[in-house]
Amino acid sequence: MSYLLPHLNSGWAVDQAILSEEDRVVVIRFGHDYDPVCMRMDETLHSIAELVKNYAVIYLVDITQVPDFNSMYELYDPCTVMFFFRNKHIMIDLGTGNNNKINWALTDKQEMIDIIETVFRGARKGRGLVVSPKDYSTKYRY
Amino acid sequence: MQHNFNTKPPPNYVAGLGRGATGFTTRSDIGPARMLPGSELGAASAAGPARAPPAGQPADKPQDLSETKFDHFNGYEERLFGDTPYEEDDKLADEVWQAVDAQLDKRRKARREAREQEELKKFRATRPKLQHQFADLKRDLETVSYAEWEALPEPGAHIKGAQAAKRSERFTKAPDSLLDRAKREIEGASVVQDDGAGAGAGAGGGSTDTPLADLKSLGQARNSVLEVKLDLAGDSVTGQTVVDPKGYLTGMASVKVSSEAEIGDIKKARLLLDSVRQTNPSHAPAWIASARLEEVAGRLSKAIELMKQACAACPGAEDVWLESARLHSKDGAKLVLAEAVRAVPQSVKVWLHAASLEDDGRLRRLVLRKALEVLPNSVKLWQAAIDLETPQDAKLMLARAVECVPHAVDMWLALARLETYDNARKALNRALTAVPTEPLIWIAAIKLEEANGHGEQCDALVGRMMKWLDQHEAAPERELWLSEAEAAERAGAPLTCDAILRAALPIGIDPEDRRRIWMEDAETFVTKGAHECARATFAACLAAYPTKRSVWERAAQHEKAHGSREALAALLRRAVGYCPHAEGLWLMAAAERREAGDVAGARGVLTDAFRANGSSEAVWLAGVQLEFDEGEHERARALLARARERAGTERIWARSVAVERSLGDLHAAHELAVGGIATHPRCAELHVARAAVELKRSAVGEARATYARAVKACADAPSVWIGAAALEAADGALGKARSLLESARLRMPAEPRLWLEAVRLERRAGNAQAASALMAKALQSCPTAGTLWAEAIAMEPRQTQKAKSSDALKRCDNDPHVILAVSRLFWRDRKLDKARVWCNRAAALDPLLGDAWANFYAFELEHGTAAQQADVLARAVSAAPQHGEHWKRMADDPASCSMPLAELVKRVAEAMRLS
Repeated sequence: MSYLLPHLNSGWAVDQAILSEEDRVVVIRFGHDYDPVCMRMDETLHSIAELVKNYAVIYLVDITQVPDFNSMYELYDPCTVMFFFRNKHIMIDLGTGNNNKINWALTDKQEMIDIIETVFRGARKGRGLVVSPKDYSTKYRY
Repeated sequence: MQHNFNTKPPPNYVAGLGRGATGFTTRSDIGPARMLPGSELGAASAAGPARAPPAGQPADKPQDLSETKFDHFNGYEERLFGDTPYEEDDKLADEVWQAVDAQLDKRRKARREAREQEELKKFRATRPKLQHQFADLKRDLETVSYAEWEALPEPGAHIKGAQAAKRSERFTKAPDSLLDRAKREIEGASVVQDDGAGAGAGAGGGSTDTPLADLKSLGQARNSVLEVKLDLAGDSVTGQTVVDPKGYLTGMASVKVSSEAEIGDIKKARLLLDSVRQTNPSHAPAWIASARLEEVAGRLSKAIELMKQACAACPGAEDVWLESARLHSKDGAKLVLAEAVRAVPQSVKVWLHAASLEDDGRLRRLVLRKALEVLPNSVKLWQAAIDLETPQDAKLMLARAVECVPHAVDMWLALARLETYDNARKALNRALTAVPTEPLIWIAAIKLEEANGHGEQCDALVGRMMKWLDQHEAAPERELWLSEAEAAERAGAPLTCDAILRAALPIGIDPEDRRRIWMEDAETFVTKGAHECARATFAACLAAYPTKRSVWERAAQHEKAHGSREALAALLRRAVGYCPHAEGLWLMAAAERREAGDVAGARGVLTDAFRANGSSEAVWLAGVQLEFDEGEHERARALLARARERAGTERIWARSVAVERSLGDLHAAHELAVGGIATHPRCAELHVARAAVELKRSAVGEARATYARAVKACADAPSVWIGAAALEAADGALGKARSLLESARLRMPAEPRLWLEAVRLERRAGNAQAASALMAKALQSCPTAGTLWAEAIAMEPRQTQKAKSSDALKRCDNDPHVILAVSRLFWRDRKLDKARVWCNRAAALDPLLGDAWANFYAFELEHGTAAQQADVLARAVSAAPQHGEHWKRMADDPASCSMPLAELVKRVAEAMRLS
């Protein structure tokens, strides 16, 4: 459902999107629309977009079209979701060891909503690092 | 809310960097995630065109950003960002600036172009192009003929000596190509010219295979070198062909190329003159012209030969003989002239020339005597002969000369000069019979009589002369008589001069403009320095108009300037006899007596003056001044009392008060002032004097009351207001003084003295601000008041005084006060020459300004020599200054008012010294 979400076509657009948002969390998915992982992620994001619109906005960025951030944000995974609030990259402790981003496809809509809400609440308080409500470390998966 | 972020980014936008984003490194195995500034810039510079380093400077040279390269307006000479790559945004910015520049440029285009045109014109006017400088000469070039152009000397032809040798003696190696060509040519030549090649081969010993050994080939090679050079010279780039390559080789034979045209002309002229001579051999000018032509052509012998022929052909022409003599050397010339006098004995020129050729005076005399035997009627010969004689012989010669040439007036006059009195008389009488129409003889006769003590006969003689000349209808113009009179004065015959003028002045003048013309004549004589003539003219004028005061005054002035004291006294005595009501003449007479030290005489003159015009205040005051100066105070008082009775003018009253004050009798002074005010209630001077007396008696209240009455009685006199204000100010009532001056200014808004006093009041009170504000207002209401400007200059701080003074000079250029202030500025700056000039200018502009003289004297005291000081002092005394601020203060001071003028100048100068 990626086509229903807004795309950012250049580094400039990405920067503008991040900068122009005053009091909402900017959620950006870096990846490719055709990538299966991204497709699943986009499905989740699309379905919650309407629900979180009061405190979050969701954009999609094609990392082939916009390679500007690839090395800066280490965009080497098929799908990466990052959070920004008032031009600040908000880190989130997901228990995976990489606090910078979500680099897998999250399919549970409520979990996603919770994460975005947590980020929003923490960022509003000035936190740069928030703790995810659910631990996604592998010890629970296996 | 949906934004459209997909707009075009600005050029060279680096994503993330513009937002200030920083990356992170979690996986160092993949590579550095954190963006390094250098890496991005490096990428950008690779994309954009790199800025080229400035020419002549290595790219890696560090920039010099020291102070020496910094300019406040332009910033650094070096480009601060010269080493950064030239990127898209730089280009954009440059385009924007260029657009701005273009816009500005367009806006001012017409004006700027007009200005540039103007500047260029101005520049051309001062430094014209070479082309324009010689424009007029170039126009003349069209009249230059081809021959003249050809005849122009070669450049470098004027170089002489070693330099020229160095120039011509320059050897260069002939290139191989030339030698090769020469070889080929010689091969061709040997085919055609068998004998030439054979001769060359013979000389070279048969070795024709090496061209260098062949002499002929060398010659040929030199020829072709010369040809090449000539080609170059002929086709020079500038188009000015210096050498005619065709004519050069052939014209080598003639040594002097430049004179060729002249030679052609001379040949032509020679031909023409030849034909003239042949057709008309007795035409002397043709012969002379031919001889001159030969002389110019440098063939002197030919010229002499020609002249010899000419003398034979036309012996009657004196010019031929003279020309011939000129061409010969001195001895030859003598021979020629000996022949000449035989051929043309009647020629005065030939005789004179012959005489001038003789070096010995005796021989010359001999020649001239011989000439006079042949030509006894030539005045020139007689003159030349007499000039050589001693006075004794000259007398004899002259006696003979006047017989031979009786019409030569000069001879008669010379004879009369040399002869004794009786003989001279006789000679002049004979001269008159010979030349009856010559006034000079008459004048000489009259001078002779005067010189021999018969001065009383001058008038009679002049009368006879006039009658005689009238009879012979030879009466000359009036102007001639006047100039003769002047000449007579120069020659030391004043009586003759007088007599001539007496007789000649009335000639040919209308009675109406007689006086005017006579006065003009007198002035002309004065300017020419002929004082006796002027005196005679004045005398004539006075005889005709004895009651004209102006004539008497002018005559007296002239006599005072150039005549003796006795003559002046006599003149003035006569003058006052004729015009007893002319006070000026009486005063002049009295002053003259006084200067002569004759106080009693002066007194007598003044007594006579009183008798003649009893109510004249000038005479009364002169009398008072005389008595006062002589120390006869009682007599002065008595005189003043009588004057008050009989004349009773304001000035006499004021003088009375002043005299009493200076004598220290304050009570009497006060009485007199009160009395004066009673008779002249509107006299400001008396009011001020009364107040001053009261102040001196420390009766401030009375003085104030006096001033209060005075400002009512004479509200239009600034002195009263100023005095009243000064009184209040001295009393400490500044506000009152201020208001007094203000109300005075309301009445007289354009009175600089009131303004000046107000400004000074503020300055004395220490209100510099108020003073300068007031001064500004004052200068607005009286912009041409020199005193105000002078004060304004003095008020300025030292740095701006110069500017203020130039302002002042602009407003009132010839005001002595301003000039005085400026001179003091120069003096202070020790620009002595300038200061002296300006001091002098101030004094010359207004000789009555005592301050200017005192300032000049003070300046000279400090920087001048003793002679300069004495000179200034003498000039000041003769100018008799009367006003000026410092001067007036000192002159009115009872302590110093009876001082002599020189002493007063010194005192004021003391006060005006540059502290």
